[in-house]
Amino acid sequence: MEQFYLTGIFLFVLFLFLGTGIWVGLALLGVAFVGMELFTTRPVGDTMITTIWSSSSSWTLTALPLFIWMGEILYRTRLSEDMFKGLAPWMARMPGGLIHTNIVGCTIFAAVSGSSAATLTTVGKMSIPELRKRGYPERMIIGTLAGAATLGLMIPPSLTLIVYGVTINESISKLFMAGIIPGIVLASMFMGYVALWSVFKKDEVPPPEPTMSFIEKIKQARLLIPVIALVSLVIGSMYLGFATATEAAAFGVIGSLVLAAFQGSLNVSTFQESLLGATRTSAMIALILMGAAFLSLAMGFTGLPRSLAQWIASLELSKFQLLLALLVFYIIIGMFLDGISSVVLTMAVVEPMIRQAGIDLIWFGIFIVVVVEMAQITPPIGFNLFVLQGMTHHQMNYIARAALPMFGIMVLMVFVLILFPEVATWLPDNMRTRPG
Amino acid sequence: MNQPAKVSDTQSTSAIRRTLDGLYFTGGMIGAGFLILILCIIVAQMVARWSGFVLPGSTAYAGYCMAAASFFSLAYALNHGAHIRVTLLLTKLGRYRRLGEVWCFSIASFFSGFFCWHAWQAVKISLMINDISQGQDATPIWIPQIAMGIGTTLLFIAFLDNLFRIVVFGDHGIEAEIIKQSQGEE
Repeated sequence: MEQFYLTGIFLFVLFLFLGTGIWVGLALLGVAFVGMELFTTRPVGDTMITTIWSSSSSWTLTALPLFIWMGEILYRTRLSEDMFKGLAPWMARMPGGLIHTNIVGCTIFAAVSGSSAATLTTVGKMSIPELRKRGYPERMIIGTLAGAATLGLMIPPSLTLIVYGVTINESISKLFMAGIIPGIVLASMFMGYVALWSVFKKDEVPPPEPTMSFIEKIKQARLLIPVIALVSLVIGSMYLGFATATEAAAFGVIGSLVLAAFQGSLNVSTFQESLLGATRTSAMIALILMGAAFLSLAMGFTGLPRSLAQWIASLELSKFQLLLALLVFYIIIGMFLDGISSVVLTMAVVEPMIRQAGIDLIWFGIFIVVVVEMAQITPPIGFNLFVLQGMTHHQMNYIARAALPMFGIMVLMVFVLILFPEVATWLPDNMRTRPG
Repeated sequence: MNQPAKVSDTQSTSAIRRTLDGLYFTGGMIGAGFLILILCIIVAQMVARWSGFVLPGSTAYAGYCMAAASFFSLAYALNHGAHIRVTLLLTKLGRYRRLGEVWCFSIASFFSGFFCWHAWQAVKISLMINDISQGQDATPIWIPQIAMGIGTTLLFIAFLDNLFRIVVFGDHGIEAEIIKQSQGEE
């Protein structure tokens, strides 16, 4: 019974710290401190420092700042302009017209950027004004952009997948490979939705663009060459087993520096801005990871994960029911926390559950990414909603409603993943790994 | 934005202000330097592998740089509003917001102080028992751990600094958050 009360206090402190606005990393550290004091007689400080030091000086983690830096460099190039110009002629005649540039643009940029906010701002700063000018309905522009930008989390490189991989000790290259096909499937589903919209709401679709000759289209498409080369370099080197995730990230940074230099957008100030931006973002994630490392140790002492796993086992849920329960659980958490925080906060508890149920942890990584993707566009705290609010000055509710169909498509994607797990597991099972 | 005229001795406060801000920024710059170093180590390691050499301990060094890059820039990231938190309740507090912020900065100061104290303890112990890395690099662990000590000290100072500012002037100095809110209120 005493255990029960202690667990109650522990959870209360967790919600108190996170809810009242303590910085997530320190809140996790504080909760872990309280947990250790309640449940053990160990010297809390020493245990804390040992755990934090070994987790923050980890070699696998180095992929994180490098991929962030790569995105920061590309954000400061003419890439978004070039991408729109290169894609538009190809999308213009598709049912739904240039709205597709939002989705395809996000998909391509997601393959060089690890975060959904970076994808959103880079693609949106060009496509929002251009699509508005051509008279596409605002609701469609914003909705598809909010939804498609979340692909930044799933298509490699993905910061969420790096954090997940580091937390549960799985290969980051494998997780990256697992994200590719589901990302493309999800993008196609978004595009299917746009096509359906154009069929059912014919009056909303603006008149098609003037036709371009095939030669001209090809000429325009040359603008896409640099970014596609970069994508092939980063993802290809990992897939062929030529480089680890960290090494691919180093290729990515150098490649994007070269790309920026060729475009003439590389100078001392953009270099410094991109570097400092990357330093800040990675310090932010590092603080969360420090808190989370200590918390998952403290969680072990509370016995909470073990008893929860036993309880779940005693319910004898089918895999499907368990996953449905987790889906609802993560959607609720995602309303209040960002993706990375909700992954690190819950994995200590969820991992034993998943292992016991015999669910593949690589596959589960993709599942969790789809679910935290939804969190990006659910109010009251949805990161993409904030970013779009800053960019378009619409009301939060309006943006959330515009993005609602995308949310529905992502729920559908979860079921696709559950019914056809091979979508995620086929590539990592067939990739070559670097010997040694 | 907020009135420095409130303070009687403006000159000395602004000197302290400049020193502290300079300190956080220097931390950020050092952190950025370590980020470049990570890139260099990884590239060097790849080049060595292609040409048939091995760089012993390079993964360990990259790991130390990772830790140094994170720790040195913690305070700098804080003052740029990079560290995330759930502000839903805080924004609902309205005119009692200041109280809420005092609570946040106090708790954060306490735990960052605790963190900082034990980080230096760890450096002391590693030095005392002469702890050597288990990897190929065989580095005395206290050397990279100094980054943890300095970084957490900077973070502790930054939280105390902001706590002081919110108690005395009623406003903290975290940049981006202020901008974000003014946009949100439109």
